Amino acid sequence: MYFQKKRCIAMLLAGGQGSRLKVLTEKTAKPAVPFGGKYRIIDFPLSNCVNSGIDTVGILTQYQPLELNEYIGNGQPWGLNKTHSRAQVLPPYERYDKKSGWYKGTANAIYQNIDFIDRYDPEYVVILSGDHIYKMDYAEMVAYHEKNEASCTIAVRNVPLAEASRFGILNTNPDNSIYEFEEKPKQPKSTNASMGIYVFTWKVLRQALIADEENPDSSNDFGKNIIPSLLNAGHKMMAYTFDGYWKDVGTIDSLWEANMELLGKEPEFQIRGDERHKIFARNSALPSSYIDEEAKIYNSFVAEGSEVYGTVRHSIISIGCTVGEGALVEDSVVMPGVVIESGAIVRHAILGENSKVCRNAVVGGAYGPKDKKKISVTSKGAVVEENTVLAPGDML
Amino acid sequence: MNVMGIIFANDATMGDLTSKRTMASLPFGGRYRQIDFHLSNMAAAGIRHIGIISRHNYQSLMNHVGDAEEWGLELGEGGLEFLTPYAMSTTDRYRGKLENLYNAMDFLEYGSDDEDEYVIVADSSILSNMDLPAILAAHIESGKDITVVTKSGIANGEKRLDLAVKLDSKGGIQDIAVDYVAPADYLASMDTFVMSKAFLKHHVKECVARDKYHMDRDLVMGLWQHGLASLNVYEFEGIALFNESIEEYFRNSLALIDKEVRHDLFGAHHPVFTKVRDRVPSYYGENCEIENCLVADGCFLEGEAEDSVLFRQVTICEGAEVEHCVIMNDTVVGEGCELEYVILDKNVTVRPGSRLIGTAKNPIIVKRGETV
Repeated sequence: MYFQKKRCIAMLLAGGQGSRLKVLTEKTAKPAVPFGGKYRIIDFPLSNCVNSGIDTVGILTQYQPLELNEYIGNGQPWGLNKTHSRAQVLPPYERYDKKSGWYKGTANAIYQNIDFIDRYDPEYVVILSGDHIYKMDYAEMVAYHEKNEASCTIAVRNVPLAEASRFGILNTNPDNSIYEFEEKPKQPKSTNASMGIYVFTWKVLRQALIADEENPDSSNDFGKNIIPSLLNAGHKMMAYTFDGYWKDVGTIDSLWEANMELLGKEPEFQIRGDERHKIFARNSALPSSYIDEEAKIYNSFVAEGSEVYGTVRHSIISIGCTVGEGALVEDSVVMPGVVIESGAIVRHAILGENSKVCRNAVVGGAYGPKDKKKISVTSKGAVVEENTVLAPGDML
Repeated sequence: MNVMGIIFANDATMGDLTSKRTMASLPFGGRYRQIDFHLSNMAAAGIRHIGIISRHNYQSLMNHVGDAEEWGLELGEGGLEFLTPYAMSTTDRYRGKLENLYNAMDFLEYGSDDEDEYVIVADSSILSNMDLPAILAAHIESGKDITVVTKSGIANGEKRLDLAVKLDSKGGIQDIAVDYVAPADYLASMDTFVMSKAFLKHHVKECVARDKYHMDRDLVMGLWQHGLASLNVYEFEGIALFNESIEEYFRNSLALIDKEVRHDLFGAHHPVFTKVRDRVPSYYGENCEIENCLVADGCFLEGEAEDSVLFRQVTICEGAEVEHCVIMNDTVVGEGCELEYVILDKNVTVRPGSRLIGTAKNPIIVKRGETV
């Protein structure tokens, strides 16, 4: 087989369990969790790759991969199915030297796929994770990396000082070169939080991965091991500041928030109308949505193939959903294929794929402006029975 | 499945709506082109070898079909082929479908007769969600030469039908008529036929040799009248939409809002596939009022719409009122507009405050790309 040499390829870490998303990731890897009505989380980094001119993407899967694998398929929705472009799913495998099995950490996952990367003989490798919602031109970051002749460039964003201790913080010199990395520092010296997006010069990363693998004490993780060891070895490492929208949707609250941030006439995260940064998704082949004469929809998304008879306010209604007569959906994320029967009330909730809220059932509750919201969640296929209540913050 | 398909893209019969496109590429139902229904019917039946016959204006059709991936088909010999006049011309004008088929003989002769034993011929003006394997099975079981797929309730003493069939009380054929304003007891041909490939090839050659070119008149009715072919009349039970005039197109577009029609056309046997556009979900603004509408993806709705079909990426600005309208993709209805019984083609801009009022029989049509 012939492999075209690539200047830059991407490796997308999509194997994590996403345990903080609780019931939503019981049977699904986090990158396959639905988002924004018709997308899945992985559509964002994948579309970013394509929009940045990166046409070779290795996708490392491990946890509950069936749905994710089906979704990625041959990469066709993102145009990654051509002769010299591909989305290659890379599951863990049994190796001749028994040096492998499950991916032990993020760095180990890349280590086990050195052969895949070597085929393309790239100058640079972009390491991405499958649980962030953002639009970014990686080509600009790679150009920055190249211009600075760095070994590693890490995307950072400014976070409020009060929150800095929740992140991996990069302390930089005035020229943005990194002199120190602190994981969740108690006394943060700066507010440059790592976004978990790395550009590496492949030669340097390749050596570092091999060395890391030989160290029995390493937990084979980029943040904990690779970055500090490259810093200690005196490699030039740069911080690349990104000030666009970016959200880690690793928790129920942040997933709910990120969905809500798509709404409004001028939303915080605008995915409409930007032809050069289109987000691509696998096609659902559903017809247009039907909006009944009794329906009322305000400040909401309704994706294809839905039927709305009731009232929807400040919510995301995904593909193939039904909102029955007299039902009310407010401040909620309704994932694909959900049925909300007549008279049901859903507030501040995330309804998992194909779940069902039966007649006159109540999910979640309303909050005053200053109250702490508690999001109610239904898992994939769950049924909230007729006339029952799923209390605020409860999960089914 | 040992069947090949032929879809006639058809010439324009709808004035401004089809001045730059074939009937096959006419947008319909919010996010489809008419040919999507035929391609989906055939693809769902496992038919891979499909010829699309188009005489002219086929650029929009080729753009739409692209590499045919969305339907799970492949372009090229033995797959989906465009049988355009440049590729097949021996005469410069085609008078009827038989001449098209005659010039598509290379396509018909691809592979052995066993490989594609049967041919299903369809027409892109008539839309349905059809179980083609069941129709083929009925054809084979009948032992007849040609199966004509028909629909009751279309003939009404007013509509001119391409081909109409009347059955006697025992189900035998009492009358066949071509280009006929048939009374209600006739069945209307859906311009969908099943026959063996060998039969079709033979009779196309025979007809064209005798200067006969009209498929309904010369091949179906003519052969039957002369005792040269036996006919099986298959009555289709599902929804069939005959989009043969602007009035019918408009009425059928709005009929899709009805649940029964919509569910049948989009899901009776299989989903309907179309070209993916990767639009965002439609956004409903703080003050919009959308009632009894079919809404595609990518719309931005701040005004009012009632009893209408909104295609992809339609914008309805604040204070606009839209009623009984078909609005095609990327069209913008400005603030405070009032629209009733209007068809807005693609990329139309309606300036703020405009008032356009048509009627159900004579909807106003605004041409593609225009600003009014």
